[in-house]
Amino acid sequence: MAPISNWVTFANPMDNPLYQFGAVYNLPYDVGYKIWQLLGGLIAWLLDVLVPGNGVSLWLVGNAVSNALALVLMIIVVFAVCFIVNLTMIWIERKVLGRLMDRRATRIGPLGYLQCLGDGLKTFLKEHIVPDKADTKGYMWAVSIIIGSSVLVAGMIPLSYRFFLADYGSGLLIIFGLFSIAPFMILVAGWSQNNKYALLGGMRAAAQMISYEVPMLVVFASVALMAGSFNINEIVGYQNDNVWFIVPQIIGFVVFMIAATAEAERIPFDLPEAEAELVEGWQTEYGGMKWGLIMLSDYFRGYVACALGAIMFLGGWTLPFVDDSFLPEIVFLLKVILLFFIMVWTRGTLCRIRTDQILNIGWKILLPLAVLNLFVVVVLKVGGLV
Amino acid sequence: MMLVEEYLPVAIYAVLAMGFAPLAWWASRFFRPEKQSEWRNTTYECGSKPIGEAQVQFKFQYYMFGIIFVVFDLVVAFLMLWTVSFSALSDMGKLWAVVFLGMLLIGVGYALKKEAALWI
Repeated sequence: MAPISNWVTFANPMDNPLYQFGAVYNLPYDVGYKIWQLLGGLIAWLLDVLVPGNGVSLWLVGNAVSNALALVLMIIVVFAVCFIVNLTMIWIERKVLGRLMDRRATRIGPLGYLQCLGDGLKTFLKEHIVPDKADTKGYMWAVSIIIGSSVLVAGMIPLSYRFFLADYGSGLLIIFGLFSIAPFMILVAGWSQNNKYALLGGMRAAAQMISYEVPMLVVFASVALMAGSFNINEIVGYQNDNVWFIVPQIIGFVVFMIAATAEAERIPFDLPEAEAELVEGWQTEYGGMKWGLIMLSDYFRGYVACALGAIMFLGGWTLPFVDDSFLPEIVFLLKVILLFFIMVWTRGTLCRIRTDQILNIGWKILLPLAVLNLFVVVVLKVGGLV
Repeated sequence: MMLVEEYLPVAIYAVLAMGFAPLAWWASRFFRPEKQSEWRNTTYECGSKPIGEAQVQFKFQYYMFGIIFVVFDLVVAFLMLWTVSFSALSDMGKLWAVVFLGMLLIGVGYALKKEAALWI
């Protein structure tokens, strides 16, 4: 134990016997550890100056407290990164849409970047209204779970081999499982608002969910089949060693991007919202802060959809022909933004489709294509080509 | 024990994520206005007085899709198991899952063909 006066030592977090991640270096944990060494060290030093030789100071900079606080700070770091990425994506969407529609986009702040923060502040100051006829519990719980699960799943996406929450073997499965809670809760929200538009929006969300979810799962299965694992690290590593999955599974990539657009409820698959025909769809009775956070969680979901696309088909945070890619997190985020740009481009180009059309697209086009993709992978795998 | 250790950061993050929205509403309580008015808490219906309840029974037309969705979701759960253990399976094991999937696809094709007559 170093003397209290040497509190800024910046010890290697991996030397802590309670280190969570085994032999793997974890960047957000390291950042959290360093922040706690500054902060907790300062408190410990001040306490030590006031009451020399007390036990609390040593306890504050000890292994157990450092590890616990570093974990909490790590979570905050991961959330902050997610949040900033999402603000950037909202900004990109508004800028690109403005360009596509030949009009001005966001104006506030440098390059209009602070507009989203201004909008967020505005919704923060709005009244909290719960309709008399609504089922208050369902109304509030549904929207809390939609926002919570979206934020959760966005944080569970690893940005690189060193920027992750946990290196779970269930990787893609658990992410997809949490990802598809929200469409179900949209149905609950639509019912509990006791509003005709909201109910129609909720039923449309159900129709949409049953049409894209199966093709998407089949694509997940073919990716897992080719990589032999659900672990995200292994999928990315396999692609780096062999070939990006977009090459053998181009059909799967197209199916996935269409299904992911539907999962994130973006145009042309935003029929649960459909502001032109259903007021605001399932969000009709959600005003103020609730609406603002729903909008934010929409972008969290868009981020997750694009990130899954980048992980499964574009080689995640690796680049071909480069040994140790420079700043893997940035490489990964650039790929995500590239996919997101395609989504925005689609949004600016296409119009909304009808409920029966999405059912037909899902079951008569996407599902056969996804199964075809699976068979291609099976043949490649049996033939020993990948 | 290993599982707890592996997923501990995710568990902490889940608490933060799930608490994010309620915390935001709780915090905005100290800033937002509170004005009562006659129409404030009525159901939104584009300016007119809402007629009747919305929580009624009605016919949704995609029930056939709903049924095949439930079946296929279960199939995909089996498929997931099959994919991760693919290289360890025997040749027959690999084949049977494909046959199983093919049979179900024929069933889906039949159901969709029949459904075309049911859609109103």
